[in-house]
Amino acid sequence: MIRSLVITHGRIGEELVRVAGMILGPQEGLDAMSNAHRSAQDITEAVRAWLGPAAESSPAVILVDDYGGSCATASQLACEGRKDVAVLSGVNLAMILGFLTWRDSSDHADLVTRLVAKGREAIVRLGTR
Amino acid sequence: MPVALARIDDRLIHGQVTVGWGAQLRPDLILLANNAIAADAWQTRVYASSVPPEVEVAILSVHAAAARLAEAETSGERILLLTGTPGEMAELVRLGAPVARVNVGGLHYSAGKQEMLPFVYVDRQDLRALRRLLELGVALAAQQVPGGRAHPLGRQQLDEMEARV
Repeated sequence: MIRSLVITHGRIGEELVRVAGMILGPQEGLDAMSNAHRSAQDITEAVRAWLGPAAESSPAVILVDDYGGSCATASQLACEGRKDVAVLSGVNLAMILGFLTWRDSSDHADLVTRLVAKGREAIVRLGTR
Repeated sequence: MPVALARIDDRLIHGQVTVGWGAQLRPDLILLANNAIAADAWQTRVYASSVPPEVEVAILSVHAAAARLAEAETSGERILLLTGTPGEMAELVRLGAPVARVNVGGLHYSAGKQEMLPFVYVDRQDLRALRRLLELGVALAAQQVPGGRAHPLGRQQLDEMEARV
């Protein structure tokens, strides 16, 4: 199973995961983490611990809120050398719902491509298409 | 004075720095002084990629950063200088970096540290380095973001903290 970690400022990630559960039901392998009160090193170590040992294949998608923020940096550092883990910024609800919908029917690379597209497609000026 | 902001922040290059202070100060260069990151190509790439493309970024050892700052004294550049610890900032100033005031922007909790402010946790080593900065004539204030409250840190605050760590 491909897992996902939503790591953000404040409680954004926790709430996104909670709301995704309200829409699609409770989910395994979807977790949230906050950077609150944590140094860069602490966040990196927490992400590493969530990923588990590099030797065990555990494909994952890490979703962060802000490109260039501490969550994004820590996630990239924690994923060094892990080809089965992708970090995507700009997390939104559509990406999480897409992840839960497609993770069992897509391989990792395909899932990542679809999630990037889905996240972008979700931003629409309503009433214009 | 080339240093528009000298900041101690254990998250190093992140949103408060690039978006918060960056938008306010419009630096030409973000200079991160950190021996471990400067010596590691992957970490350097990750941190450098966090900086908006219009701002130059340099990640250097503490010694190399001091030399770069000395060069900048005549270049008219505006530099946002970052270290992850008070000790590294004190070392930069000892090496002659032109820094008159230091912004203590974020030192998060880790084992053995005590709270000075909700965004500043320190141990004895941090306090020694902050004291050294004061002795070197540097003014210290804790402030997370532009427009946030600035908490001056003088001898009295450090003495009070010293009794608690």
